[in-house]
Amino acid sequence: MHSLNWLLIIIFLPLVGGLVLSVLRFKRRLYREVFVEGVVIATSILTYVLLYRPPLGSLVLLQITDTIQFALKMDGLARVFAGLIAGLWPFATLFAFQYMTHEGKENTFFVFYTMTFGVTLGVACSANAFTLYLFYELLTLVTLPLVMHAMDAASIKAGMTYIKYSIGGAAFGFVALVFLLPNGGNEFIYGGSLPFKTLGVSKDMMLLAYIFAFFGFGVKAAVFPFQGWLPKASVAPTPVTALLHAVAVVKSGVFAVMRITYYCFGAEYLRGTWAQSVVMIAALVTILFGSIQGVREQHIKRRLAYSTISNLSYILFGVTLMTPAGLLGGILHMVFHGVIKITLFFCAGAIMFQTHKEYVSEITGFGKKMPLVFGIFTIASLSIMGVPPFNGFVSKWYLATAAMKIGTPLALIGILFLLISGLLAAIYLFNIIMPAFFPIGGFDNEGLKKVHDPNWYMLVPLLVFTIAMIGFGIKSGPLVEFVEKIVNGVI
Amino acid sequence: MIGNYSLLFLVFFPMFGAILCYVVGKKNKEIRDLLVLGITVIEFLIFLLLFVSYRTMVSFEWRGFCYAGLYLSMDGFQVLYGLIASFMWMMTAFSAKSYFSHSRNRNRFYFFYLLTLGATIGVFLSGDLFTTFIFFEIMSFASYPWVANSEKEDAMRAAETYLFVAVIGGLVLLLGLFLLYDRIGTLRTDQIIAQSERIAKDPIRYVIGGCMLFGFGAKAGMFPLHIWLPKAHPVAPSPASALLSGILTKSGIFGILVVSSRLLLYDELWGNIVLFLGVITMFLGALLGVFSNDLKRTLALSSMSQIGFILLGIGMQSLLGTHNALAVRGTILHMVNHSLIKLTLFMISGIVVAKLHKLNLNDIRGFGRGKPVLLVSFLIGAVSLMGIPLGGAYVSKTLLHESIVEYIVELEEHGHSAVYYQSIEWIFLVAGGLTIAYMLKLFIAIFIEKNIQDPKVGQREKHYMDKKTTFAIGGSALVILVLGLFPYVTQDKIATMGQGFLFGTPPAHAVHYFAFVNVKGALISITIGVLTYLIVVRGLLMRKNENGEKVYIQAWPEWLDLENLVYRPLLLGVLPYIGGLFARIVSASTDVILHRLDETLFLPMKKPMDGQNKRNRFKEAYYSFINQFEAVGSRLSFNLLMFSIGFAITICFLVFDRL
Repeated sequence: MHSLNWLLIIIFLPLVGGLVLSVLRFKRRLYREVFVEGVVIATSILTYVLLYRPPLGSLVLLQITDTIQFALKMDGLARVFAGLIAGLWPFATLFAFQYMTHEGKENTFFVFYTMTFGVTLGVACSANAFTLYLFYELLTLVTLPLVMHAMDAASIKAGMTYIKYSIGGAAFGFVALVFLLPNGGNEFIYGGSLPFKTLGVSKDMMLLAYIFAFFGFGVKAAVFPFQGWLPKASVAPTPVTALLHAVAVVKSGVFAVMRITYYCFGAEYLRGTWAQSVVMIAALVTILFGSIQGVREQHIKRRLAYSTISNLSYILFGVTLMTPAGLLGGILHMVFHGVIKITLFFCAGAIMFQTHKEYVSEITGFGKKMPLVFGIFTIASLSIMGVPPFNGFVSKWYLATAAMKIGTPLALIGILFLLISGLLAAIYLFNIIMPAFFPIGGFDNEGLKKVHDPNWYMLVPLLVFTIAMIGFGIKSGPLVEFVEKIVNGVI
Repeated sequence: MIGNYSLLFLVFFPMFGAILCYVVGKKNKEIRDLLVLGITVIEFLIFLLLFVSYRTMVSFEWRGFCYAGLYLSMDGFQVLYGLIASFMWMMTAFSAKSYFSHSRNRNRFYFFYLLTLGATIGVFLSGDLFTTFIFFEIMSFASYPWVANSEKEDAMRAAETYLFVAVIGGLVLLLGLFLLYDRIGTLRTDQIIAQSERIAKDPIRYVIGGCMLFGFGAKAGMFPLHIWLPKAHPVAPSPASALLSGILTKSGIFGILVVSSRLLLYDELWGNIVLFLGVITMFLGALLGVFSNDLKRTLALSSMSQIGFILLGIGMQSLLGTHNALAVRGTILHMVNHSLIKLTLFMISGIVVAKLHKLNLNDIRGFGRGKPVLLVSFLIGAVSLMGIPLGGAYVSKTLLHESIVEYIVELEEHGHSAVYYQSIEWIFLVAGGLTIAYMLKLFIAIFIEKNIQDPKVGQREKHYMDKKTTFAIGGSALVILVLGLFPYVTQDKIATMGQGFLFGTPPAHAVHYFAFVNVKGALISITIGVLTYLIVVRGLLMRKNENGEKVYIQAWPEWLDLENLVYRPLLLGVLPYIGGLFARIVSASTDVILHRLDETLFLPMKKPMDGQNKRNRFKEAYYSFINQFEAVGSRLSFNLLMFSIGFAITICFLVFDRL
């Protein structure tokens, strides 16, 4: 079989697997777990095989016009994103098995959970803006049932908010697409496929189109002013908030912005323009906003969601620097933040699953009884604050040095914001950790009797991610070299 | 990974030991205690071996570790400070067992105790500011649990302050490193000098230096970032206080030394800044020390004051330029002396805490009566700290004093006015006097006065400390005594070994520590000290209570506290308000748009106004139509349908447009 066809297989395997799951009826929970995990692991393994031997060229599935195609390819950026997704999904699924026993309607949940995997891989492997747009829309639709899983008033409201923001964003994205397609900016080519002189459309108009694209695709990356849906969506079950709202969905947004910026318009085209200032300011505002809201929020998952908002904009800040170094920092933070944030959410999920506590003030003294969960939570927190030798530090360092190289006032303000945001992250995360380990007035041993670490379904993913956090922190060389190749346009 | 692996071992051995001890401690406490002791002893012995056999600098490099790589090096000063650090850890480990015999959470404490050892060694052995930063951060976070160990309210508050000073300091330090790396392209301490020529004219070097001074100074306890120091030391367990005060502050000093001797070598402005801050720290610490009535708080404030002395030395190094040998040697020796003295004194305070669980001088007065070992050890430490001849710190204080005098002479030779530096010389002598006053206050209160309230406190006891603790306290005191009695054999050697790191030139002639010129300064200080003690402490700071007994009173106004007066209101009141306002505006901006959309585009459900419009048939029909339309329109499926239609039309348009 032609190796490009494997791209289709990794996308359709989870989609079909999910659809099959919807009609199957399992006698025992274990059988379903084996089926779902089997599909997910098979997809991940295939994805990784493809990552190591990437197929060249692109697979055109549908030639709509001479320039508009439905096509897939796997270039460097796609490999990073697909690798991240495929690396996290099996573990997240394992975690979800245990967690969802409390939430009910597991079958429906896993149907969509598995299908989302395929759609996200589709986003990763899209070969042009048009295909990306289609998968991006599909992602909204396929994740909506996951957000509304509980089907109570709060989650339906959150779902509605999610759909309003997403569809609104899609509308913006669509406007940009209308400008891109006729001008030849559809194909993803590193450095931009849009010719410098566009026919019939002034540059300012194209820049406006870029702004539309940035904010349209930025909705999923929760960039200001479209950040509102993410904290609300944290009513979803924790595996969803952890995997989708920390990694898959939001990173698809970031990924799409990277594609549009560096592969369609081209960083050269945008550097130094007013459009760059606009998007950079939006990213900076979001960084600060997310961190401040994180401090103000008392609900653990929502607090983490605000932290996600802030961190996504770190990535966008790197992207909007419009230099290879900025993109390098952005991609690294995309990968590292994914690992860190999923860990934080899983810890929060483990706490919720074991004790049904959701607020910061309710977990005083839990550190003693859940040492592993809180220990890992601490490591992840330190990492996201940017404390060496954990991975969060590495990506922040790259972001800051990239900004330093540019040296424009906005970029320097960005560095300052990165540091302030690190400080605020320390405040809102230590606020959780410290009372858990050092309760004022000692431990309440009676009240903590029933609190203990979860079983291996939950611990294995946490431990693996912790190893990844420390490992990437200590030895980030190979990944950095790989990403350097991407940002230099080699792969 | 290339180079001498023993450096890597020295750093990571205690860290792995920490994990081992934690795991073992879950099962067996006795073995855990032995392990802790064993690890610190091994660490010390290795350092001793390296110290004795030291020839030239060795280094170790681990490329790619956490982005910029790990670079460890060991030259004379570094091996010296590694030795002192491991010595202090070993001695506190000896005394810790009996101190903690009644406390909980020991496992947790030991875990962080050993983790911090590794990190501190890492800081001192770092040959690269990036490596320094990594271990500095680990050290800051790993030592937090020391302060918070008791989990009492004041401990948590102090720990909070400690943590946030550390975090903010770390971030500012990081900013400095970014700038430095961006400008000169290296952070290796051995390359900074050569590369910093590139910014020799650029004022950015002061920004970089300032950021790093802030970051390292926060850990050192430099004014105005000293706020954590007098709060954290008293609440921490005594072995931890000894380390916090004796060695962790020195890691900050180490960083400042690197900046001052590499990036801004012989820079006059830099020297003046450090000198100025040092003088304030020195005087303020000593002044507060005189007013303090709490044993450990006084010792902590004394640490702050001594850090001021050291900073003064660093400032003088820069001012004196190429002939700064006196300042360099004074700085190094004062660091060493202060570490050892504070080790002894804090371990003694640990005995007091373990017995009485109190620290206020009124409660613990007379505790030392009938405890000769304690008395002698305390006396050795106190005399040395006071800078009295034959005490260890006398030598270093003399050198520091002489360096000021030398600079004044130099200025006058060139015909410049030296009034500013002359006043600094006097502040130096007064601060030395205040040191004597507060140490006298402690010594007399604990060892001479009788406790009338509770006569049991001063009773003769045989078993007030076990053998290990006696060894720890006595041993450290003995080291101080030897350093003080034989300065030419010991202190001179140490200074010569360390000065290469700071590019101190060897002195032109040997300094006669006990010549009258040099003793004179000490005599002035002693006079000021004794007078201050008699007039201020005994006269103004003691009052008769209702029983006719003279007690120490709290004379320092409680509101006069930099942390509560400025930092907390600013950081917890003003900034959150501004931040909150910003966040509200940001989140409201989208909500307002969406709300407007809900009212307009998304077709609101408006109820027709019944009574008024009944007559108007046209309007009625219109409203009923709108109502029906809205009932459908408000459904999600309908919205999606509309969206899909629009989508399909657009795609068709696009497709046919191209054909």
